[in-house]
Amino acid sequence: MRPLRIALAQGVLLADTRAALAAAGYATGALDDGGRRLVIVTADVEFVLARPSDVPTHVAHGAADVGIVGKDVLLESDADVVELVDLGYGRCRFVVAAPAGSVDRSLDEYRHLGSLEVATKYPRVAARHFQGRGIQVEIIKLNGSVELAPQVGLADWIVDLVSTGRTLKENKLAVIEEIAVCTARLIANRVSYARDRERIASLASKLEAWAAR
Amino acid sequence: MRGSLPRGFRDILPTEARELHAIERSLMTTFARHGYVPLEPPTVEFADGTITVDERRTLRFLDRDGRLLALRPDVTTAVARVVAQRYREAGAALRLAYFTPIFREEASMGGSEREYDQAGVELIGDPSVRADAEVIALLVDALAQSGLPGIDVDIGHAGYVEGFIAELPIEAREKVGSAWRGGDLVGTMSLARAAGMPARRIAALERGLRHRAIDLRGPRVDAPAASCDALDALETLAPLLDAAGVGEVRFDLGFVPALPYYTGIVFQITVPDLGFPIANGGRYDGLLARFGADRPATGFGIAIPHLHRALVAAGWQAPSDSPLLILEPHENDATTLRVASALRSAGIAVAIGEVAEHAGQDVRRARIVDDARLEYDGAVRAIDAVVALLSGQAAR
Repeated sequence: MRPLRIALAQGVLLADTRAALAAAGYATGALDDGGRRLVIVTADVEFVLARPSDVPTHVAHGAADVGIVGKDVLLESDADVVELVDLGYGRCRFVVAAPAGSVDRSLDEYRHLGSLEVATKYPRVAARHFQGRGIQVEIIKLNGSVELAPQVGLADWIVDLVSTGRTLKENKLAVIEEIAVCTARLIANRVSYARDRERIASLASKLEAWAAR
Repeated sequence: MRGSLPRGFRDILPTEARELHAIERSLMTTFARHGYVPLEPPTVEFADGTITVDERRTLRFLDRDGRLLALRPDVTTAVARVVAQRYREAGAALRLAYFTPIFREEASMGGSEREYDQAGVELIGDPSVRADAEVIALLVDALAQSGLPGIDVDIGHAGYVEGFIAELPIEAREKVGSAWRGGDLVGTMSLARAAGMPARRIAALERGLRHRAIDLRGPRVDAPAASCDALDALETLAPLLDAAGVGEVRFDLGFVPALPYYTGIVFQITVPDLGFPIANGGRYDGLLARFGADRPATGFGIAIPHLHRALVAAGWQAPSDSPLLILEPHENDATTLRVASALRSAGIAVAIGEVAEHAGQDVRRARIVDDARLEYDGAVRAIDAVVALLSGQAAR
């Protein structure tokens, strides 16, 4: 039987992911070599290191059997995967934020103009949230420094991912509403989850036990 | 843009086209042997009639009457319409089969095709577990006849998890159900807990979601009555599949139904090293009522590109009745055409002159000597002798 292939999100999650996998009994030493190699073969599994936003794609297409990636990425990706375990780390929140003290003014403007401009790096999450709320918005997709948008008049509100909230404070933004709390998740390809249930369920139980420690 | 195609559409070149035709012949022959008759739906439907597929996944356009039309996103819609219009009063079961392109809108840059062939059957009007067994056995038989080895059959029941969800307060059911059908097991469990599902039910559901085995012992403990009914149906199904000659199957209670309208026994076929199921299906008893014909139904669809890919990976080749004979023409064109015509009447595939595309066929060559003779395989032979050699009959 070929080794289970696990796609791992590079970046902030990787250190905790490595600890979780090590606690679950996998040899993770090879993940330490400075991130040069992107496919790492160990005795029982193959690790594939990918950009976080690519992990759901790898898993949905079956290029990897399972993956570890943030719920924030899953919410934005719409990929057809099975979500198995909440690993608990990498905690962050999707929030709607506006310049501190300007919420009333922007709501006045909303009543007047009938629409608000919302800048975000996560257009799907933002669109779905406001649709669910029945609020008319124009989404402005940015690729970075979303917190700048209200200061320079690009948008009324922003939808962004925050962990400590410091960046918001530094830019004099206040949270209006929390959309979702996001943590790292173990996901699986639908076919792999069916065909390889024993190995994947065993990985899931070990990681669940680790997350509940 | 001249010479290019819209994304997700492509030319199917002769080699692949021959292979797809061979697959179509094989599948439709097996479907017919099980009593399924062909249905050929139109390419276009009214957009508001295609309720089985999310509207964002249909390819839509306006016609000159200003009506919004959609390219057929599946065949179930057409089957439902035909049943409602023409077979509403039919007491007996209706067995329909199809092999046809379907069209799906896909995210840009996702590597997905927007047009691909789908084959399948629908069995309308039979609510019994025997009918579920019949379509599963047909699917397994059709794939075996097409030449595909090493399939896995996964069988679940949409009612198992629904039985747990149905006990929750009404306002929580939709959220939990949509998390479940979206494959979000983490969300299913945490929403169910938040909605007040008792601890013993939570534990039972968690066990059920991970359960995939040849037998069904175990998951009944602490499961709601409706979920146990689903297990009863699966228990009735198991010996029927055995009797129908279906090999080993796996009962998978964590099986997430591929489509939201499945209500009962659901199933999928997978092969190693392909990240998508080759085929899936199930019972959809509530759907036809939405078209005005309240009849029970079950069926399946086979994604032909996935089946084709799996066949090719398994070393399969399109069967060829007899080789293609390439005739080097005679200086007298009338002789060339006479000899070609004589060979074709004897059942030999003949092309005159060199061909640019063999489409993967076995190719032989012959030179015309005169009206009655060919030089073939190193010797001058009578036409009949060449026919005998090519047809694989003795006379060598």
